[in-house]
Amino acid sequence: MIAHSLKGPGRTGKPSAALRKYGTAGLVSLQSRMAYPAAFAGSLLTYGLFVFVFSRIWAALYSGRAEIAGYDRTMMVWYFIVAEIPAFGFGRFYYSLAEDMKSGQVAYLLTRPYGFTAYHFSQALGPALADCLVLALEGILLGLLLGGPFPLTTLTQGAALVLSLLLAGCLQFFLQFAIAMTAFWIEENAAFFWIYQKLALIAGTFLPLEFLPGAASAAARWTPFPYLSWAPARIAVAWDSREALLLLAAQAAWTAAAALLCRAVFAAGRGKITANGG
Amino acid sequence: MPVITVENLSKTFRTRVRSEGLGASLRALIRPEWRTVQAVREVSFSVEEGEVVAFLGPNGAGKSTTIKMLTGILTPDSGGARVLGLEPSRDRTRLAMGIGAVFGQKSQLWFHLPPSDSFRLLGAIYEIPAPELARRRAELVERFGIGPYMDVPVRKLSLGERIRCEIAASLLHAPRVLFLDEPTIGLDVVVKREIRALLADLRAREGVTIFLTSHDIGDIEKICKRAIIIHHGAVVVDESMKTLKHRALARKYIGVKYAAPADLELPGLAPVKRTEDAASFVVDTRKHNLQEVIRALVDRGEVLDLTVEDEPLEDIIAEVFRGRSEEEARGAARAGGEAES
Repeated sequence: MIAHSLKGPGRTGKPSAALRKYGTAGLVSLQSRMAYPAAFAGSLLTYGLFVFVFSRIWAALYSGRAEIAGYDRTMMVWYFIVAEIPAFGFGRFYYSLAEDMKSGQVAYLLTRPYGFTAYHFSQALGPALADCLVLALEGILLGLLLGGPFPLTTLTQGAALVLSLLLAGCLQFFLQFAIAMTAFWIEENAAFFWIYQKLALIAGTFLPLEFLPGAASAAARWTPFPYLSWAPARIAVAWDSREALLLLAAQAAWTAAAALLCRAVFAAGRGKITANGG
Repeated sequence: MPVITVENLSKTFRTRVRSEGLGASLRALIRPEWRTVQAVREVSFSVEEGEVVAFLGPNGAGKSTTIKMLTGILTPDSGGARVLGLEPSRDRTRLAMGIGAVFGQKSQLWFHLPPSDSFRLLGAIYEIPAPELARRRAELVERFGIGPYMDVPVRKLSLGERIRCEIAASLLHAPRVLFLDEPTIGLDVVVKREIRALLADLRAREGVTIFLTSHDIGDIEKICKRAIIIHHGAVVVDESMKTLKHRALARKYIGVKYAAPADLELPGLAPVKRTEDAASFVVDTRKHNLQEVIRALVDRGEVLDLTVEDEPLEDIIAEVFRGRSEEEARGAARAGGEAES
């Protein structure tokens, strides 16, 4: 019998143990994603096609105009490239979570000594980060070909963009997790995710927030949706250190709020778990 | 010292029901109908450290629901349970460190990766230090004979190979209590025998308490020392396998084959199966003297073969379920009659 079991049930609670636990979950999940490298091809192809089509649309829209709502054509090409990275890379957590809920797999995951949300977070983020990295490389290549030089020039600016993309990924996860967990009360919750996707699309993924009418743009800033894509894209194409700091702070605040919401939804719904069979 | 104590544990589910047809679907949108199912009702028992207990019952009896409450997956509506001194629904993560669970129809291994990766992840999840993990893994790999499968993606393993890996994975953290929910479901006879031998060995070597649900009587006969039978959510039998098997002494299965066609009519005892020169009898030893029945059969002709067997455990358990259902039906009829009068 191994030594730790003699001490009886209990966790060490050490940060290093948690890091190993959730880090390994992320890595193993990444390995599983990489078992089929061809799976990357689908999103690479769709992303590339979207960027190309929209770069042509912007070219037509900007013929004879220097800028619209403060964005010139090059900015718009790079905006779309950056805004679509979190949408493609982090935008599909809901599906696997909802599947776990519907299949009853969620119940079986509860027999392990980990934080349920933290485990799902690490498991989802591992492969999503790999997706984002591959998409970013493709995006940079396409941006240089179709738009012009990369707008950020310093390490600080690059680090701010990476941080903003990471926060966008975390926010995406927590919001989608909260939506998926509504299945504790509502059998079919796909409609909520559909609404979420559309709100995210119009509040910064498809077009910059500045393109919306004044009142709509102002209202959107009080919701988490612009911080999923608009914030990193804005940092990338219209660098202003003060604005970047404010955007990062807003992203961090929304991420923390969404994480708390997840905890609350899971705690409230856990008692409602029913498992098939029995 | 008991490692599992269950007192008046109850769980009710509310299931949405939909009648057939488009009209019913539309009505269900406005006024959904729900059915309440009492999956477990006031179940009580305790399990001592190192015991191997079979938790039996027909489909829908409440076996898996009980296991899910004992592992912290489901929260009971009323009553209480303690496993290793902890309340499963409240101390889920702490309890998880001391228990292992294998659900025969759900995999804990990553489907596209070899089991070695799942073992590495489980080692991290259970916070097992690296050297200890390597030693324990090597020990389990050898004992379960899974060395050749450790680097093969799980999707390419046969069901038997996968289940062996699943059970080994659930033992990585050396749990004190192992919950097995239908571990041999879908396995062939040879693999079932191997799994049973491994479980018996595990009990002998590590003193692990095993709580097993199964439909397979072979699993129960070979490895369990005690049986708890649950029916319609309530415990109907809780006794040692020895006592349960003693019920078999009341009935004997006799098979006889003669060299030539023989007269097989015995006074007050009809054969359950017969041909011209062979027959099978079920003898209730409370009504018939076994020795006299055998003597009568031997006197009927030249005997080529004669077998006397105990009643199979499967039949005894089926009899318990049947008796319980009839009792419930009689109770319901009585209640109905009283209500009418």
